[in-house]
Amino acid sequence: MLRAVSPVVLAERVTKWYGPRRAVADVSFAIAPGEIVGLLGPNGSGKSTIFRMLTGYLVPTSGRLEVAGHDVVEDSLGVRRVISYVPEDAPLYDHMRVGEFLHFMAGLKGLHGPKARAAVDEATERLDLARVMKLTTGKLSRGFRQRVSIAQALLGDPRVLVLDEPTSGLDPHQVIAVRDLIQSLAGRHTVLLASHVLPEIEKIASRVMILLDGVLLTSDALKHVAQDLTLRLSVDAAEDVVRDATKTVAGVREVVADGVGRFLVRAERRRSLAADLVSALVAAQIQVRELTEARPDLERVFLDLTRRPEVAA
Amino acid sequence: MRSFAVLLGKETTALFSSPIAYVLMTVFLLIMGYSFTLTLFLSHQPSMVHIFFQMFVLFMLTAPLVTMRLFAEERKLKTLEVLLTAPVSEFAIVLAKFLAAMSLIVVMLMLSGAYAAALAWFGDPDFGPIYSGYFGLLLFGSALVGTGLLTSAVTANQVIAALISLSMFLLLWIIDNFGWLLPSPADTLVVNLSLSVHFRPFAVGSIYLSDVGFFLSVTLLMLLLTVRALARR
Repeated sequence: MLRAVSPVVLAERVTKWYGPRRAVADVSFAIAPGEIVGLLGPNGSGKSTIFRMLTGYLVPTSGRLEVAGHDVVEDSLGVRRVISYVPEDAPLYDHMRVGEFLHFMAGLKGLHGPKARAAVDEATERLDLARVMKLTTGKLSRGFRQRVSIAQALLGDPRVLVLDEPTSGLDPHQVIAVRDLIQSLAGRHTVLLASHVLPEIEKIASRVMILLDGVLLTSDALKHVAQDLTLRLSVDAAEDVVRDATKTVAGVREVVADGVGRFLVRAERRRSLAADLVSALVAAQIQVRELTEARPDLERVFLDLTRRPEVAA
Repeated sequence: MRSFAVLLGKETTALFSSPIAYVLMTVFLLIMGYSFTLTLFLSHQPSMVHIFFQMFVLFMLTAPLVTMRLFAEERKLKTLEVLLTAPVSEFAIVLAKFLAAMSLIVVMLMLSGAYAAALAWFGDPDFGPIYSGYFGLLLFGSALVGTGLLTSAVTANQVIAALISLSMFLLLWIIDNFGWLLPSPADTLVVNLSLSVHFRPFAVGSIYLSDVGFFLSVTLLMLLLTVRALARR
């Protein structure tokens, strides 16, 4: 599971208990410098807990977490010098003006005088905050609060950026702007972002980890996407007949009805699968009208991996 | 060091831009002014001993209102997450909040200096007890702020933080009454926990190292426990 390249973020068997409840269970992963990694999972799956441990806000119950070679427990301050965090819900000091807040955060990150001004100016420009600089953060809309929170995270040019639901509450234009911004950070920063919005994470991240009930189900869901194959099948036969005919074809995992005479066939990706499938259907005297490959998507992988009674229903 | 100055600036600005600070100062001056005038006209003595005991009680009642929001509010608004993931130590955060709250105590003491000035203007007071009284109130205030900071760090509810602080102060104020009833050596131990036992000498003009040490120890202990409470997450 752990990668050979020297990772900038390393988690080894990390577990976190909140009293009797286990929020994160034995999670291990590694993130290489410059990667944009998405952490996907339903609400309450442990994404924020992992981020809070990574940024030094929470202490793991067991296991080891390192950021840029600094242990989050032994050298929390060292970790906090190289990492920036955008918490969920963008908490800000509501009595402060935007400019005042950004200068305050720059000061905490060791930026003072001209350096602070330059960093604040750059972040302001990147997040298009110039027109709200004199407003108190308490009067900002949800979208602007989120942007101010991201702007403070960019101050000080951190090596690792941790963004918890960064596009939550933004309108579609702002979502695109933030998505472009995060993608522009690739290479220069290592980005770890959490979301429960699947299409968003699919568009931004170069690697997707899936978390459910505190358990890391996969540290590279996109690999599953590449491995799996979904075929759209259009035939003139009933569902049970099609199922019977295809159950002997090697690699076929499931056949799901997708309308009248239409089915989705999920299978392992292999070269002769389509030919074998057609042969099996013809042998069962089923007339095949159409067989095409459906675009593989992360949603399928996500639903398969996180299948729970309410999800499967 | 400059990051600490940034933190201190933020805390002081937050405190003095909230109405609580001004309401507290106004109430403090009104009650103290009334008490000072009444005492002066009744006793005809240029002394502040009586005022110092009143300030002692008033500080116990008002300090929780100053300290209750310091961490509890940050926890509730989730800004504590922003603060504790920034590259500043927990001790710097606690110290900045402590000094900011102490600045309000100092301002209140300075404003009450008008009474001492009035005595000096119209009479010939003994300044020894006045200096020691102010010194005692400063130490006493730091112990109260330290304790209030700890209670604010362990809960997200400001009212609960204030009530826990207030209960502790009131208990430690009168605990000597109960302590005298205990057999030796428990009586000495319990009586020495009393805030009033350690403050009384300051108010009447005596400074004992044991009393200074008591208030400084309580302050330091509370600050360290607050840092510990923040670090145990």
